[in-house]
Amino acid sequence: MMKDVSIGRYVQGNSVLHRLDPRVKVFLFILYMVTIFLADNPVSMLATLAVVLFLAVLSKIPVIEVLRSVKPIVFIMVFIFLINIFTIRSGETIWTWWVFTMTLGGLRKAILLALRLLLLILATSLLLSLTTTPLKLSDALESLGSPLKVLRVPVNEMAMTISIALRFIPTLVEETDKIMKAQSSRGAEYDTGNIFQRAKGYVAVLVPLFVSAFKRAEELAVAMDARCYQGGVGKTKLHPLRMKGFDWMWMAILTVMAFLPLVVDFLWNLK
Amino acid sequence: MNPEVRDISEYGVAVKAEDILFSYPTNSGEDVVAVDHASFSIKKGEYVAILGRNGSGKSTLAKMIDLLEFPDKGKLSVFELDASSEDHFWSIRSHCGMVFQNPDNQIVGTTVEEDVAFGPENLSVPLPELEQRVEKALGYVGLLEMADRQPSSLSGGQKQKLAIAGVLAMQPQLLILDESTSMLDPKARDEFLQLVGRMRHDKGITVIHITHDMHEAFLADRVLVMEHGKLRLNGTPAEVFSQVEVIRELGLELPKWAELLYEVAGIYGIETKESDFVSEEIAKAKIREILMTPVPEGVKRQVRPCHAVSEQVMLRVSDLSYSYEKKGKKTISDISFDVKKGEIVAVIGHSGSGKTTLISQLNGILRPLEGSVEVWDEEEKKYISTDKNADIRRIRKHVGLLFQYPEYQLFEETVAKDIKFGPKKMGYDDKECDRLMREALPLVGLSEDVLDRSPFELSGGQKRRVAFAGILAMAPDVLILDEPAAGLDPAGQKEIFGYIETLRDQGKSIVLVSHDMDEAARIADRILVLKKGQQVFFGTPEKLFSSEHEYLSMRLDCPCLIKTMLDLAKDRPGLDPLIFDVKEAAQVLVFGNEEQAVPTEDAGSASSASGSEEVEKS
Repeated sequence: MMKDVSIGRYVQGNSVLHRLDPRVKVFLFILYMVTIFLADNPVSMLATLAVVLFLAVLSKIPVIEVLRSVKPIVFIMVFIFLINIFTIRSGETIWTWWVFTMTLGGLRKAILLALRLLLLILATSLLLSLTTTPLKLSDALESLGSPLKVLRVPVNEMAMTISIALRFIPTLVEETDKIMKAQSSRGAEYDTGNIFQRAKGYVAVLVPLFVSAFKRAEELAVAMDARCYQGGVGKTKLHPLRMKGFDWMWMAILTVMAFLPLVVDFLWNLK
Repeated sequence: MNPEVRDISEYGVAVKAEDILFSYPTNSGEDVVAVDHASFSIKKGEYVAILGRNGSGKSTLAKMIDLLEFPDKGKLSVFELDASSEDHFWSIRSHCGMVFQNPDNQIVGTTVEEDVAFGPENLSVPLPELEQRVEKALGYVGLLEMADRQPSSLSGGQKQKLAIAGVLAMQPQLLILDESTSMLDPKARDEFLQLVGRMRHDKGITVIHITHDMHEAFLADRVLVMEHGKLRLNGTPAEVFSQVEVIRELGLELPKWAELLYEVAGIYGIETKESDFVSEEIAKAKIREILMTPVPEGVKRQVRPCHAVSEQVMLRVSDLSYSYEKKGKKTISDISFDVKKGEIVAVIGHSGSGKTTLISQLNGILRPLEGSVEVWDEEEKKYISTDKNADIRRIRKHVGLLFQYPEYQLFEETVAKDIKFGPKKMGYDDKECDRLMREALPLVGLSEDVLDRSPFELSGGQKRRVAFAGILAMAPDVLILDEPAAGLDPAGQKEIFGYIETLRDQGKSIVLVSHDMDEAARIADRILVLKKGQQVFFGTPEKLFSSEHEYLSMRLDCPCLIKTMLDLAKDRPGLDPLIFDVKEAAQVLVFGNEEQAVPTEDAGSASSASGSEEVEKS
């Protein structure tokens, strides 16, 4: 029932974006952020939109899933749009009513900003959350962060921590469900009464949950010791990240694509 | 800094402990001695069981062998290497594997194969070999097709097999099982033990098995028994278990067949010998031999007191069905049964048969989708239903539900507050709460000294009792108990079942979910069997086990005692072997079945069993 909780919104698949080395995806993610921020006129924004849509096609993620990932920010988008459209006054006035004035410049800016936010979220979802499992992402960060080891940053241990946290989320969700049922058998209520009574209800869930989480942590540490864990030093990996021809090729293609909006913009301005 | 691992193929002794001592400080400032001057040795390839009550130092001992703890005093060597020397640390640890009690708390990987790889990864096993080891280990335990699955999607039994695979991939010489089977259901437990047996046979691995299960102990070559950190007994299972009184005093029990032998011999006043306890077959032969001789004069049949069940139905479940998704498959369907006042109904079935879903319906945590659950209200003389419009608090006043491992629900600062949490929520005033709390304490063998202590500083068994008291303080008429004795040592389990019987005698109605077929059959008036969400049987234990065909088709195991009794009854026509209590079974073997209320006068004529039905099967 609550067992198949997943973190992020990973959608299983076998597309190019799913198979791509996660480090490449992190790199491309940064690159596309820059591209999106650089797009400051309708032409380059449209070109960026085209590129992001290309990513969406490449990911083979159902449209409904893509839309779902955008849903939480629709409100912010509308808010940004409205703020900009009525506060920026430049160029021709197209519409006024009471204190509200809409100008051509404001409209342009508002569309641009809302679109930029939309593209940012789309690019993040398509490159990372929808096509990359949290574990692979943590692998990528571990690998990309390895130069930091020189500065004595415990990169391997951090990655191990993230991966254990991911591993235990379903376990703790299940446990929460169990404790809630046990406490409600004793008459605890979570959805009635005023806010203090409700908070009190959750104390009866949170305390046992924490106690058990600490106990689990302790036992897990012993179990890891027993399996000869000694930090990242000398540790080999079952599935090491390895760049193959496929990864290099798509990295090149998608890097070129990231520059496309700039090129289009430049050519447009030449005319 | 790869660990330097020594070749240990030449060693002959796996573990040798000389006078080892381990103590740890507590909050009160006093040191607790967990292992007290223990000396023993374990040969290569041996299978050793360690028994003892909870907190007797078994786990600490095992941890010292895997260098997870170090003795304060004494000399410990593993594979003939000195355990106190830093040079041998990785040599020893990498050749020891440990499987712990809680399957969830030892899985590290986010996928099954990654978890198996964790050990060898730490040992710096390079890639092509790493992959081969993982594949081989998963293949060996039969989880290969689940390699990509998330560990949380596995069953408890599969998780423990995964833990074994993780150990196997490290190619250990010594396997330590720390109560690894205690959270598994009987089927998963059998599979797990078979796997361990196979590993011993194929790889010659030395096994140290900490357990509370006496049948498991009998599989071992040797048994060590601990008490308060001291090694009390050390010998073959027969040597150890023939000292019946000592075993009982140490808080352990005997396998049912051994207990039966002891009881039968006891009636005749015969001393049992070590050689009688070598195996079940030998014990049965001994019982037959004893029964040939005439009963000594003056020995009378003892009659077991029987309890009365009133006709008042307290809980009535009719055609109950439920599914978690609206149009999904039904988790349970068409369940109908009732529980009378002063009656125990046992619910049995494998993991995933819908037991938890069923009991969650009984106090309104889940509401029925189809059918109904009704609870008798004594004051208003009518049934109240748990349907959507029900006042859930009123139902919970009548029906108390204690989930599995209830010690996890403790959360208050003091035991007193925790026990009073339920009654308070039920709307009783402070004085009333206090009275209910004090009434509940003796029912689970707690004294008032614990009231001011924090529940978190109590032992596991005591926490269990506090949680039990928390439900009893709500003064329910009907108690739903989900595996109330799981994970406790034999003496602790016996105590819990004792409390349950007392509660029943006081007129409580009890629904008991249990894996322990012997205990369920002994204690229950009626048994409800679930199989894949369907009710396949509801009736008396005698009826359930009277037809082998029937209970086997439900994929149920016969109680161990009944297995022994059926065999013993083969050459004794007319004897009804379906007796679920060991003492009573011994009486029946000696004196024959009798009407319970009438004590027999003619003690000598054992074969003229009166009042028994024709139950002989071939």
